[in-house]
Amino acid sequence: MLPLAPSPTTRYNSPVPPVSQAIRVTVLFFGRLKELTGHAEDSVGFADAATIEQLFSLYAARHPELVKYRSSVVASRNQEFAAWDTPLRSGDEVAFLPPVSGG
Amino acid sequence: MATLPHEDIYQLVREPIDMLALVRQVRAPEDGAIVTFDGFVRNQSHDRPTLYLDYEAYESMALAKMREIGAQLHEKFRIHRAAIVHRLGRLEIGETSVFIAVSAPHRAAAFDACRFAIDTLKRTVPIWKKEYFEDGAVWADGELPPAPAATPRAKPAS
Repeated sequence: MLPLAPSPTTRYNSPVPPVSQAIRVTVLFFGRLKELTGHAEDSVGFADAATIEQLFSLYAARHPELVKYRSSVVASRNQEFAAWDTPLRSGDEVAFLPPVSGG
Repeated sequence: MATLPHEDIYQLVREPIDMLALVRQVRAPEDGAIVTFDGFVRNQSHDRPTLYLDYEAYESMALAKMREIGAQLHEKFRIHRAAIVHRLGRLEIGETSVFIAVSAPHRAAAFDACRFAIDTLKRTVPIWKKEYFEDGAVWADGELPPAPAATPRAKPAS
């Protein structure tokens, strides 16, 4: 049987819904980072792929004092400690955590 | 993750911690020892008189991490039951902020597990305290939890 060739019209001319790369994540700040950024929880969208590092940079651009805390912050993704180059997925909950001082 | 014995207790609370109730829950007839750790609010920090402390947590993650510590206790030590309870909110001088109880057939495992639990909690559980003094407030110096390193990339041949 011959395979059906897609018709040129459906291939090239019909409107194709754009494949959305948009990513939306929830961002949480704690301790002094919460005071510095002025919020405990935020929601951010990216048009394209992004990492936790890029997410932090976005806030550092808005709140320059964040830069000096970068080396004393750990990040988590969905309640697990995560490396800075971890790619974000839509629906992720990312938190920026200062040094912990429970006990 | 390993399932925890259902008698174990892992909690974040906003009211005073009832230590005796926790001890009763963790003690069992087949045990021979229980070791407890009562961490409470000191009246000074670096020689500055403290007025009170305020604790906050990333609650969902803190609970998950406390349960992970519990799973490690059962893996590493010959213990029977464990309770780890941390209080949040404003705490006055002398009030208990964290209470840990571990029961075991023999004392050595209970001592070792209790020590491991508080040391690991202080390093890995996302809880923060703010110290209030006469002339202001500061976030306490803490410990940076060990985070995974960046994803390794292909190394150039050397």
